[in-house]
Amino acid sequence: MIEFIEGNDAVVRGAIDAGCRFFAGYPITPASSILVSMMRELPPVGGIAIQGEDEMASIGMCIGAAMTGLKAMTATSGPGVSLYSENVGLAIMGETPLVIVNVQRQGPSTGSATKGADGDILFMRWVTSGGFPMIILSPENVQDCYTLTVAAFNFAERYRAPVFLASQREVGLTREAFNYEHAWAEAPTPLPRPVAAPDCVYEPHACPTPDHVSPMSPIGGPHLVRYTTSTHDQRAYLTGDPDVIEHMTNHYRRKILDHAEEMGIYEYDPQRGADTLIIAYGVCARSARGAVKMVREKGGKVSLLVLKTIYPMQRRVIKEAVAEVSRVVVPEMNMGQYVWEIRAMAPGKDTIAINRMSTTLISPEEIIAKGGLL
Amino acid sequence: MATKLSPKEYVKRGDRLTGGHRLCAGCGASIVARNVLKGAKDHPVVVGAATGCLEVSTSLYPYTAWEDAYIHTAFENVAATVSGVEAAYQSLKKQGKIDKPFKFVAFGGDGGTYDIGIQSLSGALERGHDFVYVCYDNGAYMNTGFQRSGATPLGAWTTTTPTGKVQPGKPQQRKNLTQIAAAHNVPYVAQASIHDFRDLISKAEVAFDTEGPAVLVVLSTCPRGWRCDVAQSVNMARMMVQSCYWPLYEVIDGKYVINYDPKKRKIPVADWMKLQGRFSHLFKPESQHLVQELQDYVDREWERLKALASLPNPGATTE
Repeated sequence: MIEFIEGNDAVVRGAIDAGCRFFAGYPITPASSILVSMMRELPPVGGIAIQGEDEMASIGMCIGAAMTGLKAMTATSGPGVSLYSENVGLAIMGETPLVIVNVQRQGPSTGSATKGADGDILFMRWVTSGGFPMIILSPENVQDCYTLTVAAFNFAERYRAPVFLASQREVGLTREAFNYEHAWAEAPTPLPRPVAAPDCVYEPHACPTPDHVSPMSPIGGPHLVRYTTSTHDQRAYLTGDPDVIEHMTNHYRRKILDHAEEMGIYEYDPQRGADTLIIAYGVCARSARGAVKMVREKGGKVSLLVLKTIYPMQRRVIKEAVAEVSRVVVPEMNMGQYVWEIRAMAPGKDTIAINRMSTTLISPEEIIAKGGLL
Repeated sequence: MATKLSPKEYVKRGDRLTGGHRLCAGCGASIVARNVLKGAKDHPVVVGAATGCLEVSTSLYPYTAWEDAYIHTAFENVAATVSGVEAAYQSLKKQGKIDKPFKFVAFGGDGGTYDIGIQSLSGALERGHDFVYVCYDNGAYMNTGFQRSGATPLGAWTTTTPTGKVQPGKPQQRKNLTQIAAAHNVPYVAQASIHDFRDLISKAEVAFDTEGPAVLVVLSTCPRGWRCDVAQSVNMARMMVQSCYWPLYEVIDGKYVINYDPKKRKIPVADWMKLQGRFSHLFKPESQHLVQELQDYVDREWERLKALASLPNPGATTE
């Protein structure tokens, strides 16, 4: 059956199918419809949705619920991410699985309340004090909102980490055709949360090797669970031992970075003989697809790499794709953010940033013109 | 205690929130802002506005409806930003760099005050800044599409307190911001309503004249969110006051003063609830008990308020 739904609806559907049973959020355009839908959809499946008194309360409730055994999600927009920041760090420190939907709007601050942008990409990447890797997925259409939400839950549970879904106003609030059966078939299989055996000696942060992620035990379950935001060892006891601190610091990094390729979701569409590669994510990927189609129809040659996993960086495929060309074009609805990551990986290449932060979309024609594609 | 302005004097005071703003027909927020600013008399004013309907609709590009200096802050901290402005003013005054007799006012809706803004409001009241905080209370987050707030009454429909077989609107009673503000022992706290302009202006006048923090919590109709007739906007507030759901009172240096007691003319809350679509589901037989629950709550709070008002002035010496 084909339905006509908006991206935010698809996020809600994906979350519920992924096993999300707790949601807390705070009203903010253009993310409010996720809160409103969760209020309606979660209770019938035995879940709970709560409106917090602010963003800090909302994400705090999610962390509490996640540690007590429920898959949890929250949704906001840029100003809300600002207020989430401390608690995102807390989720990293406590290794709490959590999905955070950021339906971006143009900032800074209140910005353009109902106009889209991709201005928060590096903000989400570096959202915490201390600077640790984040997992960030970026949907370009309604189906992605469904499949990437399921993927986000899987990554959150698999790596015990907060995961951002970097949606934006144009994706979140645009209605388009959605084939549920097709989306379900395309989505990864929802993973159950790995849970520690009841009779084991439970260490909340056990990591014999830095990249190892241990199963959780819910607060109130068979084990005494400790949770702390302070620097701690594998047992969640506070520590000042430099060797232990180094091991744990490596753990938070390497459990994400060493598994980057397992989280790789992208579409690489190379064209033999093409000298230019477009790298795009989010709603700009749709303009990029349009540009590629127009160029090829007119006999031109161009390759395309659409990244749905923007962090951790998909270094292998980006390197491979960049090696084939001499020019790389990166369109973004910000003042140039991800392009710097690409430049760092494409030394000697002519890297062209196409940026727009006027609340209007980058058109395929603009990509063709500014990218010199025809 | 506030003394009411004569109609003649009312007319003489100009508007400092001018027409042409784009608040909805029947919205109470502009009535609140206009009348509160009349209370500042001839003083220059610095206006702070938290994100919300009032802010969005009065400062649409490329216009502004404000005749005074104006700061739009984040949603959560208008009281903090205005604290900074007031503190800087005191410093400049001490340094002899400014001599105008400025007044400071912060406007926030109920979402920006009862919920996300309460921490910064509480801090500002406790520190004792010389400013007026005004909450225009329409009982939900109307700007983002009618989500519930801590001010939403029991049983009301909002998009996040849906109505259906399982849930009949908001399951909790509202919190009492006026009492929370009064608990800070600030010199002046008052509750007012959009239907009584003169009472509102008089209270604003006292608030501006008060040295130290003053808080006004003003009932403000939202016909869109309440699902009521635009033409009934002011009448709606009047009825809510008449039912004692929204008593008009002041707390002056700890002394409670009730400004309006309907006595025998007190009406049941159901009278106005029936006229607001947000409560329509409560008039089905299976939810009627919630109307009674709200009535009981209102009666209890009204009796408690009268008891508070009967207490002797806490500042007076006892014999």
